[in-house]
Amino acid sequence: MDLVDIISEKKFLGQEFLTWLWYKSEERGGAILLPEAGDIQVVFEKHMLLESGEGESLERLICKGLQTELQEARTGLLMGKKLEQARIYLAKGDYEWRLSLSATLFEFRNVSLPKTVASSDDSSDPVAWEAKVLERIGMSEEAMHTIDELFRMFLKIRISSGWSQEKAGIKAWIAKGAEN
Amino acid sequence: MGLLSRTSTFVRYSVEGQLPDNFWDFAAERIAQFSFQDIDDTFDEYSIGWVTVDNMFDSTFAHASYAVGDQIVLSMRIDERKVSKTLLKKFSLKEEERLKKERQIPRLSRNQRLQVKEDIHLQLIKKALPLPSVYELSWNLANNTVLFFSISAKAQSILEDFFKECFGLTIILQVPYLAAANLLDHSEQERLKEIQPEILV
Repeated sequence: MDLVDIISEKKFLGQEFLTWLWYKSEERGGAILLPEAGDIQVVFEKHMLLESGEGESLERLICKGLQTELQEARTGLLMGKKLEQARIYLAKGDYEWRLSLSATLFEFRNVSLPKTVASSDDSSDPVAWEAKVLERIGMSEEAMHTIDELFRMFLKIRISSGWSQEKAGIKAWIAKGAEN
Repeated sequence: MGLLSRTSTFVRYSVEGQLPDNFWDFAAERIAQFSFQDIDDTFDEYSIGWVTVDNMFDSTFAHASYAVGDQIVLSMRIDERKVSKTLLKKFSLKEEERLKKERQIPRLSRNQRLQVKEDIHLQLIKKALPLPSVYELSWNLANNTVLFFSISAKAQSILEDFFKECFGLTIILQVPYLAAANLLDHSEQERLKEIQPEILV
């Protein structure tokens, strides 16, 4: 299968993952237990993109706002729309990231990296510059690695017999979210 | 939105195949061979090549400045002379009018008009300044993945071709289904192939 076919036939995988991650993040008030890493924080912030249909009948719904509970987005899920992009706050140990993750292509958009010692802007010193570049790459990779671990958690449930129970939980959460 | 910006935007590629032995020598040679060549003082329409991430005018890479830890950090710079369609149309029509008057004919043939368009395009290209675009990437040699700091489909497509041309290695965008393959064992991957979209309402 070439990449274009994979993207169109398997895009549901990323969208289901993002929906599952939203559900998972609300299950324990933002905390998700990652194997090996322990509890991390995953909070869905007030910016989301949902879509339904495809090709010419593709419909997009953008939800944003500071003081909302993403009610439109929750209703959208109930109407069968798929979560295509979400703004996520991620905290692991001492570090915090904010990033928008797109479901179909796994694009990491507008990633704000943790503030650290090497964040200072001294481009005149090559050693400091190299340290800064390495740290920025390292922090970008760490965000991606954390998303990978969450994705792995999802995949293992998704292909297991435990999925039907997880699915029932997601369905109940969607139904409840749209009622509130 | 690049590697050094306050916020960054990126996608991940996997690099397929084995890296050559004495990789750093190979990389030095290829990066130099495919470094950016300036076209400001020529009439070339297009130039693509590597520059350093902190200076788009540096394509010499003194002291192998692309080597940062076990990463190769580069910017892909593209300079392109472009002619706007509106300008091309305007000056082609103007030239057609001039020729009709000069030759005292009511209209030009299709071939003549095509020739006029081609000539005008050349004239305008020579006057146009090359527009630069710069896209950063970091290549992690430990796990053979590339972060590319752009979500432009066009830039990604150019990178895929240019990377292959430069290093002889294919890079593949890690969309979720492909990323999943690196996170699961063989039997899990087989089960993943079978799953169908779920209705969650």
